Amino acid sequence: MEGKVSRASRKLEASPIQELSQLAQTCGAINLAEGFPDFPAPPHLKAAALSAITADFNQYRHVQGICHLLATQMKGRHGIAVNALSDFVICCGQSEAFAASIFAIVDPGDEVLLFDPAYETYESCILLAGGIPVYVPLSPPDWSFKKDELMKYFTSRTKALVLNSPHNPTGKVFTRDELETISEACKIMECFAITDEVYEYITYDRELHISLASLPGMQERTIITSSLSKTFSVTGWRIGWACAPANIASAIRNIHVKITDSAPAPFQEAALTALQSPPDYYCSLRTEYEARRDYVVQILSVLGFQVRFKPKGSVFIFAELPDHCELSDIEFVKKLIEKAGVAAVPGCGFFHTTPQPQDGEKYQRRYIRFAFCKSGETLSAARQKMEQCVNEDGQLSF
Amino acid sequence: MILSSPFTASGAHHYEMPLSLRSFTSLNRALLSSSSPSSLLLRGSSLVPTMAASSTTTVSSTDAAPQLNQSTPSPPPVQVAKRLEKFKTTIFTQMSSLAIKHNAINLGQGFPNFDGPDFVKDAAIEAIKAGKNQYARGYGVPDLNSAIASRFQKDTGLIVDPEKEVTVTSGCTEAIAATILGLVNPGDEVVLFAPFYDSYEAVLSMAGANIKCITLRPPDFAVPLEQLKSVVSANTKAIMINTPHNPTGKMFTREELEFIAQLCKENDVLVFTDEVYDKLSFEMDHISMASLPGMFYRTVTLNSLGKTFSLTGWKIGWAVAPPHLTWGVRQAHSFLTFATSTPMQFAAATALQTSDSYYEELKRDYLAKKAILVEGLEAVGFVVYPSSGTYFVVVDHTPFGFENDVAFCEHLIEEVGVVAIPTSVFYLNPEEGKNLVRFTFCKDEATLRGAVERMKHKLRKR
Repeated sequence: MEGKVSRASRKLEASPIQELSQLAQTCGAINLAEGFPDFPAPPHLKAAALSAITADFNQYRHVQGICHLLATQMKGRHGIAVNALSDFVICCGQSEAFAASIFAIVDPGDEVLLFDPAYETYESCILLAGGIPVYVPLSPPDWSFKKDELMKYFTSRTKALVLNSPHNPTGKVFTRDELETISEACKIMECFAITDEVYEYITYDRELHISLASLPGMQERTIITSSLSKTFSVTGWRIGWACAPANIASAIRNIHVKITDSAPAPFQEAALTALQSPPDYYCSLRTEYEARRDYVVQILSVLGFQVRFKPKGSVFIFAELPDHCELSDIEFVKKLIEKAGVAAVPGCGFFHTTPQPQDGEKYQRRYIRFAFCKSGETLSAARQKMEQCVNEDGQLSF
Repeated sequence: MILSSPFTASGAHHYEMPLSLRSFTSLNRALLSSSSPSSLLLRGSSLVPTMAASSTTTVSSTDAAPQLNQSTPSPPPVQVAKRLEKFKTTIFTQMSSLAIKHNAINLGQGFPNFDGPDFVKDAAIEAIKAGKNQYARGYGVPDLNSAIASRFQKDTGLIVDPEKEVTVTSGCTEAIAATILGLVNPGDEVVLFAPFYDSYEAVLSMAGANIKCITLRPPDFAVPLEQLKSVVSANTKAIMINTPHNPTGKMFTREELEFIAQLCKENDVLVFTDEVYDKLSFEMDHISMASLPGMFYRTVTLNSLGKTFSLTGWKIGWAVAPPHLTWGVRQAHSFLTFATSTPMQFAAATALQTSDSYYEELKRDYLAKKAILVEGLEAVGFVVYPSSGTYFVVVDHTPFGFENDVAFCEHLIEEVGVVAIPTSVFYLNPEEGKNLVRFTFCKDEATLRGAVERMKHKLRKR
């Protein structure tokens, strides 16, 4: 009966992140693998959720106020004018917003461009919709791409380009220059852009997140997806959204209604509170995450990792294994879990392209992703544990 | 044109669009796109005040901030995916706007106007306070998987492995989507019974399935066994069953289920069964297909928290299936929503562990509500078909002289002030449903009595 599984889902494999996560649990390892906080969600948000449950906001709902607040934010931060009544679809997390967007625009045989390395879920959604993922490699160490080469990846079958910025796993924040190159290509080829902006409020060193849709000629062809999860440390609440021109939003909404129909009602209410957080909230968010970033970059450097690219955004560091290390990323992570009791994610799961000659053959097996959306205690404990496994040069060695 | 009745061409009741809706139309076609009976009416309610003040122009992207280049090329042509061509539209939104305008009593929406039990809400509150606000394990919080397995065992006698055979999803809607997308290939034949909950057809279209539809007909909506047999073959991938059945309230009998089971075993066919109303079974015992001999290994059983515990907005659902089928469901699920609302999962585990007295009281309450509605509808003059389960009743409206269900429902809203749902949208061929409308009794008793009174006073046979 294995034959009963659909062809599309058979192409999909079990997530390597989740498997190693299970090993980490068995070993009681400190979890710097998965990208969710181990510190509490903001109290004002939790209170709002509790009120909503008590006040009986528990049936199917669409909370229109969320759309108005988001529209105001988009205008204020990015200069994008959207219609709160027609341009939003509230979904169960950015995950669902992305899946619904893909199903709304991708026909079997359509090509969708992705930058590599990439969060593993994008490809799976595209495949499920019968689309063909096409990867544009970002070259280490700074994860840049050649502007004049970007056009090579577009064909007459390209339906959309996916842009995740700030970027998981590298922490890259696409610059205005890069966004202009991407936008020119999209306009020439008349294709969509789908953005994943979940880390939009988590940027460092005064780097600002620029929304691709704010560039000339892009709003009409861009689907923005984002969520509360990372900004408000409520990854388990499943409140996200897609924002697109009305006719596209309508298509996305049609799909969403058939996939889940409604995001959890009480958390939609709480989202109203979240989205009215004062500027202070976003400032502290950035400041606190920046401190964590700096701490972890420093530890990893001391332990011998090569951090040649300091993340400008997101909650991840994509660190290269120490020079002398002969293990692959997966072997290293296994040892890290078993011997040091710390879990991280091997980078190979994020890569989908054949390495270019100028980048060297092996780099795709030499990166480890560490998440630093963890409390100070957790990060400190992780450092202490890793320090137990260093060699005489003070470098992590198994 | 989206807002016109599909039956206008036959010279029947002509629907003149009210002025307020005309501006609504030109403002925003996007809103008229959802056909889900469950979510629309609240959506409508939050929009109307704003609409009245709105201009008739659509906000265009070039009206926006100065930094946008004014000589940008025109927007790309609408390149939505072909799978959306089969998505039905707007009758429900039309109804909901009318309902609000006329202050109608809403017996159309399929969700309660009363809330869930305190002990479940308290459990969710405790979970939020205790910090259970981050990603849950993709296929479900272990406590909930176990609670689902235990409940399933109590209900069916089957022992299932919570780790390998239970998957938690964002509502049963997502469980249906994950099951179909995970297990159905483009071109696969899938048998559906009409009338059907509207997401089945839409998701089957998304999966590229070849739908074979069998119509259930009044008065008892019995399965036409010989017709079913003629349609099932070695090419059939799956049969979709919804029991207790929305909208008719029919419950599949043991004989019908055994007949279907036999066909499935002979032709190696899967069964997807949507059992969200299983605790609202009144006139007979609910039977799960999975419990029939030899059927567990080819059945995906779908259910949810929402209807049983009056918490439809929490979106906690699940699929129970043998490991080789669960694999497909989990794959699709992990890319549709990745994980399900964490605090609600903990609360759902508490809910499912409640004693049988909760379910007995639930049934008693609903039976009382049903009696109010059914007696009222009969007194008013409808032909009321017996509903064995769910909180729905379908009735024949033709004694009142309207050509079709949409026309009747519009009249019911405008002249009587009560909302019902035209059932033609639940059929592949709308003609088959034009004599029927669906009422719900998941409302408090005052609301039900109020609706019955309005109908008694204002609904006249022609």
